[in-house]
Amino acid sequence: MEDPDTKKPRSTPRNVDDVISLVIPYVTDARDRASASLVNPTWLRADSETREHVTMALCYASSPDRLSHRFPNLRSIKLKGKPRAAMFNLIPENWGGFVTPWVNEIALSMGRIRSVHFRRMIVSDLDLDVLARARLDELEVLKLDKCLGFSTDGLLTVVKHCRKIKTLLMDDSSFLEKDGKWLHELALHNTSLEVLNFYMTELTKLSPRDLATIAKNCHRTLVSAKVGDFDMLKLARFFNAAVNLEEFRGGALNEDPEKPDKYTKLTFPPKLSRLGLTYLGANEMPIIFPFAAQIRKLDLLYALLETNDHCKLIRKCPNLEVLETRNVIGDKGLEALAQYCKKLKRLRIERGEEDEGGLVTQRGLTALAQGCKELEYMAVYVTDVTNECLRTIGAHLKNLRDFRLVLLDQEERIIVADLPLDNGVRSLLMGCEKLRRFALYLRPGGLTDVGLGYIGRYSPNVRWMLLGYVGETDEGLVEFSRGGCCPKLQKLEMRGCCFSERAIAAAVMELPSLRYLWVQGYRASMTGEDLRVMSRPYWNIELIQARRVPEVDERGEVGEVEHPAHILAYYSLAGQRTDCPPTVRVLREL
Amino acid sequence: MSKATTELDFFGLDKNQTNNAPKPMFKKTLDRRRSFREMQGAISKMDPEIIKSLLASGANRSDSSTRSFSVPSTPKEDHPHRPSSPLHAPLSRLELVSGTVPMTIFYNGTVSVFQVSPNKAEDILKVAMETTPKNDKSMEKDLSVIPPTTLGSKLFGKNLEGDLPIARRKSLQRFLEKRKER
Repeated sequence: MEDPDTKKPRSTPRNVDDVISLVIPYVTDARDRASASLVNPTWLRADSETREHVTMALCYASSPDRLSHRFPNLRSIKLKGKPRAAMFNLIPENWGGFVTPWVNEIALSMGRIRSVHFRRMIVSDLDLDVLARARLDELEVLKLDKCLGFSTDGLLTVVKHCRKIKTLLMDDSSFLEKDGKWLHELALHNTSLEVLNFYMTELTKLSPRDLATIAKNCHRTLVSAKVGDFDMLKLARFFNAAVNLEEFRGGALNEDPEKPDKYTKLTFPPKLSRLGLTYLGANEMPIIFPFAAQIRKLDLLYALLETNDHCKLIRKCPNLEVLETRNVIGDKGLEALAQYCKKLKRLRIERGEEDEGGLVTQRGLTALAQGCKELEYMAVYVTDVTNECLRTIGAHLKNLRDFRLVLLDQEERIIVADLPLDNGVRSLLMGCEKLRRFALYLRPGGLTDVGLGYIGRYSPNVRWMLLGYVGETDEGLVEFSRGGCCPKLQKLEMRGCCFSERAIAAAVMELPSLRYLWVQGYRASMTGEDLRVMSRPYWNIELIQARRVPEVDERGEVGEVEHPAHILAYYSLAGQRTDCPPTVRVLREL
Repeated sequence: MSKATTELDFFGLDKNQTNNAPKPMFKKTLDRRRSFREMQGAISKMDPEIIKSLLASGANRSDSSTRSFSVPSTPKEDHPHRPSSPLHAPLSRLELVSGTVPMTIFYNGTVSVFQVSPNKAEDILKVAMETTPKNDKSMEKDLSVIPPTTLGSKLFGKNLEGDLPIARRKSLQRFLEKRKER
């Protein structure tokens, strides 16, 4: 059956509208596509028919049938469910984000889908079964990213039916492990695997031999493997077979004081340039020295290195572009980075335990800003910071697109002398013009209402913000959201703030691009009525009710932790949620 | 329609909700025509065992089983044998290990969430049923949705500032716990 549209490209285009159908397939940026689709119905249709990928930052923003109706030829989707706070244990596990309706729609009417990425969603074995049987060999990519609710049975179904799968990822997902059959099945039949990821999954029933077989069968294609904590010696055969491997994370280096040379004979694939070895200690560090010069990405989040170890290692990695580690790296480590890693683009420093020592302060950050000018992403937990340091960052790091700073609240209070940070923050924002993501998590007194006003005024391109313990009164929010402020802010997260419900709702109404709001810790009204200020069509307002959650502390005692209420509000074309658990309350016409 | 029996609004639902109710409703008396469809959808999300036990322990003695609502004896075809439907299924690591599920109880202005085994949940529900006075409308009010904001201030006290500890990423938390053991 000939589609009359296919005849068009051959003839001379009569007008711009004809041209667009030829041009638009080459337009891949989502924002460009969105703009193009607004021009007129012909352009809208051209975009709709040729759009290959869609990311939905919140799965409840629309409905599955709307998606498939508008983009009938979609090849790839990425959906996100739970609020980001779920990664920090703040959201009830059954909050929502069920993939079922989406998987059913894929099976029903999205016949071109070959790549599916679910992030922070709830997935069942049945969902995986439906998906696998619907797409069969055409499914090339499946990413179950920080998901929960399924079991290894579901994985087995996927592997059995989708024989040509290239990417299989279940990173940091929480699921029931019944057996290791799914890996065995992959080993038996797959010859096209490029990316295998079961990092951070606590799987114990997998066979390293299956992994080695997969490496052998897929040696041409396998470039990335992120695995659980197999002892590294058990992975020796795997490494020998995976000749094209470029990225590896996981394994476990289990030191044996009686065998200090336990791992020295380990050889790594020749192209390995992205690496993270779990429990890497000072003793084992030398095993990566032979190829340290080619390392571009290093994950030390789950290593057991001290400050000096970091310095020793960093010195050997002049081509390092991405580093993730804990704050044990210390100021000394940051100074080493500034000196040796001029190509550094992304740096993430997470909060370790207090007993690790190593502190990150303005000393290290200033050196870093002056030495690593290529930085685009910087996320740091600091013990101390100054206005001058922030000013320096603004002056030097002109390529910064994503900046996140958390001021730690340590037990033995290291007095942070230079609060409030109003001026430093202003200088940073004014200097880093390309900033699109910004997070500032301080403490009471860390930023005044004036400072909050600066954030509003000097963030012309910022699309996402996380603000913790900023401002002093509702006036701060008024300044933050005044006309012209935060013009592109789409997603706002706030925690531990002193603002009233009314002020929050009023600010929401002022922010022109805001489509998603999350708040935990605010001055609530008696009835939640003040949220009525932000009542408007297509704007869903939900409350995650205050809860007491049983938690086991370090001594193994069961206590209860109080979780205050959250506000979650977002634009949706799908109406209000109908699948909430008891802890989520949908606010109707207030 | 049988006489109204005690309505235990365990899940904190507003009984005046329309058909677009987001929450599962559990009413022992019901207008089958209006709410059967929403009931089916809602009930299939609840653990059938708990519903069965609730019915068994709380049903009016004179009420025949045809009047009170019936739990489907076979699972619907779009629901697997293992209850993997939204409200029940997502089992956390803790739950998978211990075989418990969260049970949320709203009572007297407080909210509590407990990890209990299904048996324990049944027992608790039974006790609650027994001690609840019949035809007590004021009880229903107490158990219905309490504006979370009042809860917030009750649980949290007046001063919010500094009360929220900086949360740590789950994955990192797990690693740091393991590190202590090494």
